[in-house]
Amino acid sequence: MFRLAVLGCAAFGALILGVFLGGSALAPGDVAWALLHPHAGGDVATIVWALRVPRVAIAGIVGAALAVAGFLLQGMLRNPLVDPFLTGVSAGAGAAIAVAVTLGLASGLVPAVGFGAGLGTALLVAALARRGSGIDTERLILAGVSLSALFSSFVALALTRLAQGGAQEILAWLAGTLAGRGWPEVAATAPYLIAGFALALIAVPSLNVLRLGSGPARGVGLDLARTQWVLLIAATLLTAAAVSLSGIVGFVGLIVPHLGRRMFGTDARLALPGSAFFGIALVSIADAACRTLFAPQEIPLGVLLAFVGVPSFLYLYLRPRGTSRLWGT
Amino acid sequence: MGNLTLRGVRIASAECTLLEPFDLDVASGSFVAIVGPNGVGKSTLLRAVAGFEPTAGGSVALDGHDLRALSANERARAIAALGADPEAPHGMTVREVALCGRFAQRPWWQWTRSDHDLLATETALARVGLRDSADRLIDTLSSGERQRAWIALALAQGARVLLLDEPTSHLDARYASEVLALLREIASGGTTVVAVLHDLNEASSFADRIAIFGDRRLLAYDAPTTALAASTLEAAYGIAFARADIDGETRVFARLKNT
Repeated sequence: MFRLAVLGCAAFGALILGVFLGGSALAPGDVAWALLHPHAGGDVATIVWALRVPRVAIAGIVGAALAVAGFLLQGMLRNPLVDPFLTGVSAGAGAAIAVAVTLGLASGLVPAVGFGAGLGTALLVAALARRGSGIDTERLILAGVSLSALFSSFVALALTRLAQGGAQEILAWLAGTLAGRGWPEVAATAPYLIAGFALALIAVPSLNVLRLGSGPARGVGLDLARTQWVLLIAATLLTAAAVSLSGIVGFVGLIVPHLGRRMFGTDARLALPGSAFFGIALVSIADAACRTLFAPQEIPLGVLLAFVGVPSFLYLYLRPRGTSRLWGT
Repeated sequence: MGNLTLRGVRIASAECTLLEPFDLDVASGSFVAIVGPNGVGKSTLLRAVAGFEPTAGGSVALDGHDLRALSANERARAIAALGADPEAPHGMTVREVALCGRFAQRPWWQWTRSDHDLLATETALARVGLRDSADRLIDTLSSGERQRAWIALALAQGARVLLLDEPTSHLDARYASEVLALLREIASGGTTVVAVLHDLNEASSFADRIAIFGDRRLLAYDAPTTALAASTLEAAYGIAFARADIDGETRVFARLKNT
């Protein structure tokens, strides 16, 4: 519990740090003053409250949503290599956005199109994976991988056919970015995020029992079909919401649950909130780096996370010495 | 309490009937061994009694209540079932595994564990002799200890019936006899125990009654001395058996060479 509280404070600290850093260099004192006086007005307050605070909030939301979604799916499938995009959310959203851009749809509609298509693809994957009242995990993985491949080819096709401008818009989205996002996007996804997080919390005791494996878990009274649907729906809502906010931000959903389990063990009552805090901290720091490293140019968030995240993950888990293991502690 | 009543139960795989309809009564607090050749449908029968899969026909009742009417939660409080050779979960201590047995005692979304849950878990761990190993990771235990940890989980469930599929399959003679003695003791404590066993002599030494399945039927269901007739075993397994009674216990031996 103590470590969880410390990590929670660290995540909050990372968010605050994100407000102080940005493309336009503001004096820390001015930022602090603007933060403490929200209604004061002025250039600094406008940058802080209209640009940085919502953006940092979105970074935190995306980090927490992807981390929790990854944690849920890894627990459901008992597979440490699963990431939240497994169910086709990102590929479906990508294809829909590619089509939308090709057809010249207003770019304000892009997040909504991405959200709807992501959700729809996950539903299709779940329908293909159904067996009896529950879900066949092997079929889920196969259906997710196949449909993702299919939809990714739509994106590739659109990219080769489109003029420079349209291709640019799709690429920016594929690489993951928080540029230009604000409160309207948060408000639009809020109901799904709340539902997703609520379902995740409700599923925690079931996730803990599922650690035994599906056979013994049923033996102690777990309704496997219900658990699978709760986990899948929660993960899909969170992932689709995150994707519509930020585009495809990879590796967070794969790596952060490992960090959570490594620090807190496999008990989801600690590891799930722990993973959420790790996700918040990681994405908000990464986004702050995206904004500041080559200001006024921005690096895509997904690219930076892959550059920094993957080597550190490899170092943590694949270094030769030690008895590290992907699953568990 | 813990009387199992099977009436006209038929067991089938996707392709064909495994066991023709049969009746079976398991009295409260008894230890019943289920034996028979591989593929005869013993495990399928056990899963049906555990409520994991529907039977192909007939009914299973516990103390007069049809099991089909129970929710997963209610069933787990009445019947604890251990599958054959469950994989040891990574990163879980013995205590955490045993605590999972309390899952059905509260609503499925509830995070907190009551003092009673913790107490029941500690009692279960003590009964299987793992109190000192409670904080060890289950995948570091020996096969015999691991099997006892799973039994602790089943005991923590507080069920009236305990079903086990081949609880001694990977154990050496000493560990096997420890586990069976533990099951015997659990049955004497009032919990009905039904176990699929492969070793006929283990069944003979520890079970109150033996149900022998073979040739798609229930061939015998009786006390070991009566059930383990050479002719019944030959009908079940299709090979010859010799029998000896040593110190009042029935021993049977398959004639392994061609006879």
